[in-house]
Amino acid sequence: MRAELFGSPGNSALTLALLAALGSAAFGLLHWGLVQARWAVVRANSTLFAVGRYPQEQQWRLWLLTALLAAAAGLAWGLLRSHPRRDRGGDLWPQNDWIAVGLLAAIALAVPWWLRLDPLIQGRWWGITALLLLVRWAAGHWGRRLPARVLALLPLLWPLLYLVGMLLINGGLGLLPVPPGDWGGLLLTLIAASFAILLCFPLGVLLALGRRSDLPLLRWGSVLYIEFIRGAPLITLLFLGQNMIGFLLPGGLAPDRVWRAAWVLTFFAAAYLAEAVRAGLVAIPPGQLEAARSLGLTIPQALRTVVLPQALRVALPTMVGQFISLLQDTTMLSLVGLMELMGTARTVMANPAFLGRNAEVYLTLAVLFWCCCAALGLGSRALERRLDPNPAS
Amino acid sequence: MSSALQPPTAHRMIEASGVHKWYPNGFHALRGASLSVHRGEVVVIMGPSGSGKSTFIRTFNALEDFQQGTITVDGIALSNDLRQIDAIRREVGMVFQQFNLFPHLTVLENLTLAPVLVRRRDRAEVEAQARALLQRVNIAEQADKFPGQLSGGQQQRVAIARSLCMEPKILLFDEPTSALDPEMVREVLEVMQDLARDEGMTMVVVTHEVRFAREVAHRVVLMDHGEVVEEAPPELFFTNPSHRRTRAFLDQIL
Repeated sequence: MRAELFGSPGNSALTLALLAALGSAAFGLLHWGLVQARWAVVRANSTLFAVGRYPQEQQWRLWLLTALLAAAAGLAWGLLRSHPRRDRGGDLWPQNDWIAVGLLAAIALAVPWWLRLDPLIQGRWWGITALLLLVRWAAGHWGRRLPARVLALLPLLWPLLYLVGMLLINGGLGLLPVPPGDWGGLLLTLIAASFAILLCFPLGVLLALGRRSDLPLLRWGSVLYIEFIRGAPLITLLFLGQNMIGFLLPGGLAPDRVWRAAWVLTFFAAAYLAEAVRAGLVAIPPGQLEAARSLGLTIPQALRTVVLPQALRVALPTMVGQFISLLQDTTMLSLVGLMELMGTARTVMANPAFLGRNAEVYLTLAVLFWCCCAALGLGSRALERRLDPNPAS
Repeated sequence: MSSALQPPTAHRMIEASGVHKWYPNGFHALRGASLSVHRGEVVVIMGPSGSGKSTFIRTFNALEDFQQGTITVDGIALSNDLRQIDAIRREVGMVFQQFNLFPHLTVLENLTLAPVLVRRRDRAEVEAQARALLQRVNIAEQADKFPGQLSGGQQQRVAIARSLCMEPKILLFDEPTSALDPEMVREVLEVMQDLARDEGMTMVVVTHEVRFAREVAHRVVLMDHGEVVEEAPPELFFTNPSHRRTRAFLDQIL
């Protein structure tokens, strides 16, 4: 360390200069953030940034959903720790988990306080965090007693939760409908991104398989689709989607503007994802398919159990990169007039009461996006480690 | 290596006649190759590299197609009918030079995958059988490891056990010891030898292992330039071959 940083007079000078530059930048940022910045713009509009114009008397549904998600996350976290992979051990409470618990608690305490949220709402955030940690503890403690059959069914909880979540957000089945036009802020960003990520995945895998198919029609269709989408800028496709789908479908059937945009995002991401999956497929030696076939597996069986699990693992880092840029691409929706985070930010900045407070707003947006992307990145790295068949290497 | 080989029966498990194969690039890999293998018989195929021996046994379970000739496996004629190909593949096991184990599955899962998925057998029952098979190839203690954590010789024994778990009628071996370090060849050959002697398994083995051919094979076959040049019992094949090309080949490897 010392030799690297201060090995020669030149190195020492460079190190000192860089330290000075970093120090002054950090000081400047801190000074701006603590003294100059006027955070009222974020504090006054925190609900708008979170959920847009979602009707206040229906917001209990979003709280319920957040609590359900926290419980599910705690359950998954605890069960993963109580069931380490067979070929390696694992602590129930590794050091990283204590750091994560500390961070979660600190965020849950500090952020609502800093935003000057209503005490009732602050209490809800604390409650939700406590719920997450409690379920994490319980699942870690008693997780081993769950019968294997229940354990095998638990992953289905996530798609179920997604459907329940969409029902809660959208309404229906006795709940008052809240049209997509009223969704906004982080809520809309997360809905659009998760919808596109979930649907572009199967679509991208099918396109990648289609591109390698022996059937010419399927192959050329896939190539044409992928190359067309990859050749057009997303913003063009978004406008195209807003205008064309209305012409293509009879009036009543055309989906809402929010859903049109979400579908365009999905179709857009699928083309890029297909290329990532194709790279994964190419990396799998042909002997794998031969071995599977010579054991009597049909081609769909061999793809499902032998080829795709390996190919997707290879493609995982690239795919997560695509998901992260997809999440950031949702900011484009503001250009077709949707009120996701970016659109909300623009309306807030246009409010005369908050004139000139752009830096505060953009910094808030950047931090929010950074948190979401960091979560995706951390999750994917954990998944990679868990799927790695050669832990020693 | 004491106990005697079981004599093969008259039932013909593989009947290949006049098989021609051209690769898409025009290379004429098989030029009228013919071979018949009886139930319980161990046939070793030898020959210089590029003689088409691997291609030939890969046609027996339709991993390679062919353009002329006929191949019948246990009474089913190989054609382009996918159903029949699937039916044949269930009965014919194959062991590859590069093992081709599934690296993302544990050893036990490698064995149980196909019986559960293809034969729709009960998982617990297949697992018990798989553990017994691993015991037989002397790697019972590795059942929960991943293939990448095993040595080459261990991996190839797992591959043999994986084929056996489907209870095949025929086992094809495509140079099973060529990718192994010398000290691991023996453990794999011993497993194969036990299979031939104790089970009377029908086996077609492409290999350069002369000692294995001498002691285990009922018949040794020499392939050259895509055709079967000589077929003889091992004692005759290695001491008094009738064909000039066989003598030339033996001069090079012995």
